[in-house]
Amino acid sequence: MNHRFPAAVIAVLSLAAPAAGQVTTKRTWTPPRTSWGEPDLQGIWDFATITPLERPSELAGKDVLTEQEATEREEQATQRRVDRPPKPGDTGSYNQFWFDAGTKVIATKRTSLVVDPPEGRIPPLTPEARKRGEARVALPPHPATGPEDLNLATRCILGFNAGPPMAPGAYNNNVQLFQAPGYVALLNEMVNDARIIPLDGRPHLPQNIRQWRGDSRGRWEGPTLVVDTTNFRDETNFRESSRNLHVVERFTRVDADTLLYQFTVDDPTTWTRPWSAAVPMRKTEGPIFEYACHEGNYGMFNILTGARAEEKAAAEAAQKGTR
Amino acid sequence: MRTKLILGAVIAVVSLATAPAAGQATAAAGKASAAKRAGTPPRTPWGQPDLQGIWDFATITPLERPKELAGKEVLTAEEAAEFEQRTLQQRNPDRRDGGSQADVGRAYNQFWWDYGSKVVGTKRTSLVVDPPDGRVPPLTPEAQKRADARTAVRQGPPRGPEDRNLWERCILGGNAGPPMAPGPYNNNVQIFQTPGNVVILNEMINDARVVPLDGRPHVPPHIRQWRGDSRGRWEGNTLVVDTTNFGDEPNFRGATAKLHVIERFTRVNADTLLYEFKVEDPATWTRPWSAAVPMTKTEGPMFEYACHEGNYGMFNMLAGARAGEKAAAEAAKAGPK
Amino acid sequence: MLFGFPSETASAFAGIRILAALTSKEFGSYMSGTMRNLFRGAFAAVAVLAVAVAPAAGQTAAYKAPRTADGKPDLNGIWQALGTAYWDVEGHAARPGAVVALGATGAVPGGLGVVEGGEIPYQPWAAAKKKENAKNWLTADPEIKCFMPGVPRATYMPFPFQIVQTPKSILMTYEFANASRVIYMDRPDFESPVDTWMGHARGRWEGETLVVDVTSFNDQTWFDRAGNFHSDALHVVERYTALSPAALRYDVTIEDAKVFTRPWKMSMPLYRRLDKNVQLLEFKCVEFVEELMYGPLRKKPSQ
Repeated sequence: MNHRFPAAVIAVLSLAAPAAGQVTTKRTWTPPRTSWGEPDLQGIWDFATITPLERPSELAGKDVLTEQEATEREEQATQRRVDRPPKPGDTGSYNQFWFDAGTKVIATKRTSLVVDPPEGRIPPLTPEARKRGEARVALPPHPATGPEDLNLATRCILGFNAGPPMAPGAYNNNVQLFQAPGYVALLNEMVNDARIIPLDGRPHLPQNIRQWRGDSRGRWEGPTLVVDTTNFRDETNFRESSRNLHVVERFTRVDADTLLYQFTVDDPTTWTRPWSAAVPMRKTEGPIFEYACHEGNYGMFNILTGARAEEKAAAEAAQKGTR
Repeated sequence: MRTKLILGAVIAVVSLATAPAAGQATAAAGKASAAKRAGTPPRTPWGQPDLQGIWDFATITPLERPKELAGKEVLTAEEAAEFEQRTLQQRNPDRRDGGSQADVGRAYNQFWWDYGSKVVGTKRTSLVVDPPDGRVPPLTPEAQKRADARTAVRQGPPRGPEDRNLWERCILGGNAGPPMAPGPYNNNVQIFQTPGNVVILNEMINDARVVPLDGRPHVPPHIRQWRGDSRGRWEGNTLVVDTTNFGDEPNFRGATAKLHVIERFTRVNADTLLYEFKVEDPATWTRPWSAAVPMTKTEGPMFEYACHEGNYGMFNMLAGARAGEKAAAEAAKAGPK
Repeated sequence: MLFGFPSETASAFAGIRILAALTSKEFGSYMSGTMRNLFRGAFAAVAVLAVAVAPAAGQTAAYKAPRTADGKPDLNGIWQALGTAYWDVEGHAARPGAVVALGATGAVPGGLGVVEGGEIPYQPWAAAKKKENAKNWLTADPEIKCFMPGVPRATYMPFPFQIVQTPKSILMTYEFANASRVIYMDRPDFESPVDTWMGHARGRWEGETLVVDVTSFNDQTWFDRAGNFHSDALHVVERYTALSPAALRYDVTIEDAKVFTRPWKMSMPLYRRLDKNVQLLEFKCVEFVEELMYGPLRKKPSQ
């Protein structure tokens, strides 16, 4: 199994990042160190971007946007993000105030966050994974028969962008990184999920202990923090993944304001090959705020209450009809 | 384990030791003289009197002086032998001379009992030493009322486990105290010492009482425990244990949460630990009272007494009560037809 | 009384000395309100204590923790409280649990309490509210719903928490509900714009002690499973001091003028988890409370 980030990709990124002209980049830049000598990656990092994970089909074959294309896309994104009245019959929901998905493409101007496969698209699902997906789709429609019918983010069990691996989402695209000798901690703003990553070389948890966010172990490879995560649950379901999901994340500080985040995911029972993405994160002042998801999950109550009310109304209508 | 009361020296010492203790006012003086007579008790490496070991407090001497012995404090050797023989005969449950009802009452046969075969070495006619008549003082009117109510409940079929006593419920051992008073079996207690604590482990329900010796106060008044809260200190060669903070229903002769127990443990010779207790509860007795029980060293070991774990009795009493009610209800229904 | 010593003066005098002794021995918290009842005398005990006290006083200053690279006491590690404060921060005897089916596992173990002086100084209305909370524990306690436990409750729940200490900010992350909070060490003037469950925490070092000032709470969290509560005016000052390589002392001052008549304190040790390979595991309890919270809204099979 190739758990290492493909060498070609690293080459592309490490060249691409500075080459693409990040404003603050200096080739002579030396990453700061913690007082005990590790590369210092600490701070709050913002990974919001309008660059999609997968390359849009209309950009097939195009790796990188020109300056002008990038500006156009950013303008389009901003224009799209205005409040409009909901469609008839739609109650509407979150307005733009709630969203914070970024306004910029990533600095490399790549057309996708996926860097491998080179076409910028997630590899096809295995037949087995396809079957799992089809079985789900084939289920008769059951609008919220119970909380389990809703996704993990709606249930406030996992933040939709908190990972591992982290992938930009609609809001709360912030992560704070702490370092102490022996540990790195990643605190995602989304659902306040803190991941404590031991660096002491201890093995992963036994196979029978499975967690929603898996079990992470870290190590340094030169200036790069490498985090290896296994022991996921089937239900974690990162884009159809199974419990065999294996995530390798790499954090490299490429300049004072940029933390290059790369990840490779591998699950032979889900994808026909491993794939990788790269997300340059930008330093931000923060702070990160408490995201009390479950504590204020009125949405869950209302979705379930609404579903029951509709069923009741339908049953009553049916009864009237038969009379 | 059976009582192996060692006669001779023990008796002499115990009789000297208990006599002064009978009057609490002179207790200190009594202790001093007892210690003197007994010689120097062994000491722990850190210098405390060493009370450790397993002690047997089974005796057929009753807590209260039998009415027929009123006015008689001590038995002669002959009287004692006769008393022992008579008592053992009366208690023998292996007799089959009372009809089926009596046989059920004697369900536990002799094998299960272990209340000793001897009177205490002093040959006193009661364990109670104060009041001098050897009887527990009268109950206060309110205590009498509580006792009557309890008796009424106990006589009927149990509505629930709470209608049976704490011992049958396996919450407290009938003889484990505080204060300890000899019962029909498991009359064994093991004492452990560390510099700051004494532990009193009763064989009955395996109850271990950890008694701190560091002078800390009792727990706050609103914290109540079945066995109270014990604090100990040394007075010369005597370990004094003060216990308060009992719950509303201590397991001792209908006492209330106001029960206050003071126990005194003195090793009077190699094989005898003199155990004295004084109890006080103005809501229960018209005056405080005291008893003395010489305990005898025994080899042991003490065994696990898994009371609750094997409490088929409770299950069967309740099942029996419910079955009885059901049968009665069915009979009543069948009757008018 | 067998060892009565009834003089009021003597009792008061004894009380002061005993309290000093007990504080240093870490079981002073349950003393003061009960002094008179407890120590109707016990002159001998006082004498013993008075001797024992002197060297014990100020023992917290004796230990100096190892230092982080920036020279501060190193509190990094996985910690956990023992004791029964999570059931009831005030002293309490053992009591039966609220769920019959849980039997002995659901019953409440006794504890001498962690509140200095024994009792929380509630305003009269609040004392009544606390009783009400206790009565309605199963439906009212936010812990049962897997809500973030707030501070200081998060510290002494029966779950470990981890301190990740950096010069500018300290992360405290709790296994229960995977709650976390960041203590700002470098932003003393940073006021929170919103109320929170876990509070807004600003820290500083006072010698050996990490002092954390916590504000901006909502009124939704409790102190324990006994219904002890606060309002959104809660102000908490926490003090973490290393007692040894394996223990911290945790002192908390609670202030809430809407609920209490005066500020009050709690104190307890926290112990380092020394288990080999210890790590915080997930306790994402949302999953475990969905049936409780949303079960009645499930579609019934017949529908």
